[in-house]
Amino acid sequence: MSEPIALPQPHELSQREKDDALAAYLMNFAAWGAGLPIPSLNLIAAWVYFLVNRKKSRFVAFHCFQACTSQIPTTLINILGVGMFVDYVLILNRDLPHFFWPYVAFAVVMNLIYLTSSIYACVLAAKGRVHYFLVFGRWAYARYYGPNAIALEGGSGRPNLPPTGF
Amino acid sequence: MNFEIAQQESYSCGELLLRTFFGWLYITAPHMLVLFFVGIWSSILHFISWWVILFTGRYPASFFEFHVKMLAWTMRLNAVTWNLAEGYPAIGTGGSHPAVTLDVPYPESLSRGKLLLRAFLGVFYISIPHGFCLYFRMIATGFLNFLSWWSLLFTGRIPDDWFQFNVGTLRWMARLNLYVTNMTDDYPPFSGKPAIVLESEAT
Repeated sequence: MSEPIALPQPHELSQREKDDALAAYLMNFAAWGAGLPIPSLNLIAAWVYFLVNRKKSRFVAFHCFQACTSQIPTTLINILGVGMFVDYVLILNRDLPHFFWPYVAFAVVMNLIYLTSSIYACVLAAKGRVHYFLVFGRWAYARYYGPNAIALEGGSGRPNLPPTGF
Repeated sequence: MNFEIAQQESYSCGELLLRTFFGWLYITAPHMLVLFFVGIWSSILHFISWWVILFTGRYPASFFEFHVKMLAWTMRLNAVTWNLAEGYPAIGTGGSHPAVTLDVPYPESLSRGKLLLRAFLGVFYISIPHGFCLYFRMIATGFLNFLSWWSLLFTGRIPDDWFQFNVGTLRWMARLNLYVTNMTDDYPPFSGKPAIVLESEAT
């Protein structure tokens, strides 16, 4: 492909597409939903949701991809924080390092920023609009609407063939 | 909601014995293993659906379809393990069973008030009364399942009343499941009878 693909306008999208797109951002709450204090669960949930929905439509795939990838920084920050706590307190049985609480404050701020922007993107997706996150928005756009956008349509992969020699 | 299990003319005695002695191995164990992981996913989707309903008043259609298929899966598994249907129940949300029918209409809109009511007071007006009734109903169902097993072994049939009672228990559980998981606003009746029978009795 050499030309960007036209973005769909809100009136061209079905309610189902809008619902599927908005739910992608709510995967951020997946860790709470499953009741597990694992900071990476939301990323796994978002990734599974992306895999399930990526072929539905470009609009849905764009939002799923953006929601999934944009969780990576905060998830890494959270994993590092939890990992540090587990390592120092539960495994090494030592006092927490002096930078731990400032790091927690930083993590909380980052999570709040991500949470706010997720809710904003979620509301826009429900209305059939797009919102571009920093870096990840461009990446998602390039992947699904850009000049070199990947093909969603097409064959179902390698055809079945008889064994070699027949 | 419509849930039915078609009663067969006769049931296989060999399959009954196979299910009884090895069913846990070739039916229950693989199903439970897969259901465990799909159940985690389902709980995540339920949680997200709750928020979507709260803000939009609608159940996301694709989530709804997934949960109906998931419910249909558990129902056909129950139908086979309770000896109400024969054959191997298909694993996965995409499968079906020729004897088991589950139709759940998609609600165009759901009440946010009822959503909050269920979340905060559901224990009092859903769990306690239905749990109390279903507890005794399950005892009766277990007893009838035991009697049905002998009936199947010697006659190859289940008396119609026993069959309908056990199907009714599954129907009751399905209705309760739909209400608790916010897939309908209709409070489940304290009965396992089909909706059409309940409506005709009411009129």
